[in-house]
Amino acid sequence: MEVKILSEHYHKDDFQGLTGYKANGGYEMLKKAFTMKPQEIIDLVKAAGLRGRGGAGFPTGVKWGFLPDNGEPRYLLCNADEGEPGTFKDREMMERAPHQLVEGMIISAFAIGSKKSYIYIRGEYDDSINSCRQAIKEAYDAGLLGKNIMGSGFDHDMDVYCGAGAYICGEETGMISSLEGKKGQPKLKPPFPAVQGYLGKPTIVNNVETLASVIYILRDGVDAYRKYGTEKSPGTKLFSVSGNVVKPGNYEVPLGYPLKDLIFDLCGGLKPGRKLKAVIPGGSSAPILTAEEAMVATLDYENLAQHGSMLGSGAVMVIDDSNCMVDLLGVTLHFYHHESCGQCTPCREGTGWLDKIVHSILDGKGRLQDIDLMDEVAGHMMGRTICALSDAAAMPTLSFLKKFRDEFEFYVREGRSKVKGQAHAQM
Amino acid sequence: MLKCKINGQDVEVAEGSSIIEAFKATGQDIAHYCWHPGLSVAGVCRLCMVEIEGNPRLQIACNTQVQEGMVINNNSDKIKDAVKWGLDFHLINHPLDCPICAQAGECQLQIQYMKFGQYDPEMAERKVKKRKVVDLGPKIVLDTERCILCSRCVRFTDEVSKTNELGIFNRGDHSEIGTVDDRPLDNPYSVNTVDICPVGALTSREFRFQQRVWYLKNETTVCNGCSTGCSTKVYFNEEGMWRVKPDHNDDVNGYWMCDEGRGTPRFVNKDSRLLSAWNGQKDEGQDLEAGAAAKAVGQTLKKVVAEQGSDKVAFVVTGQYTDQENRAFLSLAKDLGVKVYHWVNNPEKMDEFDGLLIRGDKNPNTYGLKEAMKEVGVGSPWSELESSVSDLEYVVVAGPENHFAYSDLTDKVDLFSKANHQVWFVAGDHDVLRAASNKVSLIPTKTYVEKDGTYKNFEGREQRIRRVMTLVPGALSLTEASKLMSGQELLVDGNVSESYRKTNFFSSNERGYL
Repeated sequence: MEVKILSEHYHKDDFQGLTGYKANGGYEMLKKAFTMKPQEIIDLVKAAGLRGRGGAGFPTGVKWGFLPDNGEPRYLLCNADEGEPGTFKDREMMERAPHQLVEGMIISAFAIGSKKSYIYIRGEYDDSINSCRQAIKEAYDAGLLGKNIMGSGFDHDMDVYCGAGAYICGEETGMISSLEGKKGQPKLKPPFPAVQGYLGKPTIVNNVETLASVIYILRDGVDAYRKYGTEKSPGTKLFSVSGNVVKPGNYEVPLGYPLKDLIFDLCGGLKPGRKLKAVIPGGSSAPILTAEEAMVATLDYENLAQHGSMLGSGAVMVIDDSNCMVDLLGVTLHFYHHESCGQCTPCREGTGWLDKIVHSILDGKGRLQDIDLMDEVAGHMMGRTICALSDAAAMPTLSFLKKFRDEFEFYVREGRSKVKGQAHAQM
Repeated sequence: MLKCKINGQDVEVAEGSSIIEAFKATGQDIAHYCWHPGLSVAGVCRLCMVEIEGNPRLQIACNTQVQEGMVINNNSDKIKDAVKWGLDFHLINHPLDCPICAQAGECQLQIQYMKFGQYDPEMAERKVKKRKVVDLGPKIVLDTERCILCSRCVRFTDEVSKTNELGIFNRGDHSEIGTVDDRPLDNPYSVNTVDICPVGALTSREFRFQQRVWYLKNETTVCNGCSTGCSTKVYFNEEGMWRVKPDHNDDVNGYWMCDEGRGTPRFVNKDSRLLSAWNGQKDEGQDLEAGAAAKAVGQTLKKVVAEQGSDKVAFVVTGQYTDQENRAFLSLAKDLGVKVYHWVNNPEKMDEFDGLLIRGDKNPNTYGLKEAMKEVGVGSPWSELESSVSDLEYVVVAGPENHFAYSDLTDKVDLFSKANHQVWFVAGDHDVLRAASNKVSLIPTKTYVEKDGTYKNFEGREQRIRRVMTLVPGALSLTEASKLMSGQELLVDGNVSESYRKTNFFSSNERGYL
């Protein structure tokens, strides 16, 4: 069963505009927030156990608590870069319910005491950029942004910033670099953004969905929020389902929802005659699950971690038995090769190396030692770099090789795909 | 102070130190490319991996601060494996063209490979092709294929020279060092980027392909290019001096030196030097042995002073000589009772300073000369010399060794030509001197790498220079020349310092030994 909290009004055409949003209870929670103390909101978010929806799943309230009390200006940045392949949940929210994001951001900004926020949207998302800009304009006109919002004495300014569409700018420090006008490259941590972020000032970076969720924690209270989800993964989450399912799309389900039900109930299962082969549960960087694992896995942070994978951004990619795993890894690695920022050596050289090896295999030039070599290269890219892009390339490699090694060996030995019967070059 | 343990050794470091600094402080070996003590931390080469007790993940030593009681090691198998792979990632797209690379012999990739590598390469794929022999500016050539993108040069132009010419362009394994719109990298400190480049990506146009570095010896000394007095290392072989690099000295120059200071081989090496003494006029004259010439000049001066009076002779000094030489020369002037004039090469620029290292006073020892003149009690205003020069019988000049800093050399030769004779102690061979209209004696002097002594820099810091080689065998130091002129004999080997004995690499009888 879907539980529509964030996506409750997505189907209403007028929900995009301020009038429609207000008619459905919009900006009521902002009013309520102003009656509370900022610390109360932070405590509420902490108590609700909201975890970052961008990919890492870090507890939001805890992150907010890292801000140093040093009187420096603070920035709130909304990460709407949504670069993880397979993810399109933030985009839908920004296009259909931009005010939900704006309201969530103003409440969050009030909670952390920030006077300026940016929504960092990837450059390709034209519709999201336009709708967010429109929503911000409407909010300014209605006195919901700017000086003395709703007579509360709280000032806040908000802007949209368009990235150029680089995957690495979805990494929070890469995003900060980009926002500062520099080349989008992650920064060394420590110092963490909460201490020294945008322009060297304390900065909080949150995902679109995370910020919007704050509204509903305020509306329904901690207990109602915790009614859904598991002990450690409370609430609902948007999942972007893509791949070989009948009804791909965004689905809002409580965390802990069985992956099997998401695929076979909500998404209408696979096409007739197809068999489930594998599922990538959290965006292309999440280790792949075999069909057997996918049938028992539940969609929450802990269970997927037990299966050696991760919830990530909630991009579920369903793969049926018509797919060649060597080909899929080739596509994935090409992406990471292309997107590596080139700063840290293991990632800069490793992503390219892996990409070239897997394409040598796809060209029918593979050597049996290439499989072990890829395994070793990927293993030495894990945890060796400033950001997680290196891991993001290594994790699928390691899991593909481990779980579908037979297909790789077949490809190397026969020079053609085990599934498709032909070499990649002939297709 | 914080206590920690590095590879089993107890170490105490200052609060806020990074682990790599602790390693360096104890002299322990740690591999690194991007970290440089004079630059900010980049943390990108990922080679300085260490294991910290209680932390399951390997950490980079450059961006991890030492905490009280930390137990750190970098000699476990896990670390060796990590460094080996870190090195391998650096090498897979490196062209491995060591035989034709000017950096070979001092390349950090080679050094680390000998420590951690020595395996057959596993890379079977095509390497990334990038630009080679890129003309980066008048002094530097770039090979982007050799570059390991450690970003040291970028950080140098950002943080030290503050000229920001360099950047890393493109992404992933297509990243390249370059300048915006191919503008030249041309600042007064640009060659430092070559020094800090751990590989052969940035090479100096002047030095590349000149010598194999393993055939060169080096010795630390002090630059004589200006009154800052940077600590430097000079690289030389029996043919002469090939390059100058900065030597770390926190009190003076940190890790850097200017490009101009690297030009000293231009006036030190044999091809620009005066090889023997010369007596003549208008390009005609004969060569003499330097010592005999100095003796003869000394006798003549004594005679002139005795017969015609001490106001017929003037001594001219420059800030180019060591304290010891200044004292000997000035004392001789005092004994003879003649006047001494200080030749200031560029009076209007003397107090200029660019904020980093370069000073307008292009003499290494102006401070010491002024001090010596005060102590000996000599020195008269320059204008006096200008008005009285035509009455003089002899002008004796302790001329500049770095004639590139003396653009007024020709003017001064013309000025001194108004006297009957001019005697020059000078290192370089100058046509203007030989062409002078009056009688000229030229006596070759040693350059700063051929003698021992001290310079006092702009703030009076006394720094020692060392004799590291002999390029012109007959040349005299000003001390030696003063002794000869005053009638004393020179004990040729009596005063050779121990350090010179130790570092005189070319004195070995062993065949083939450098």
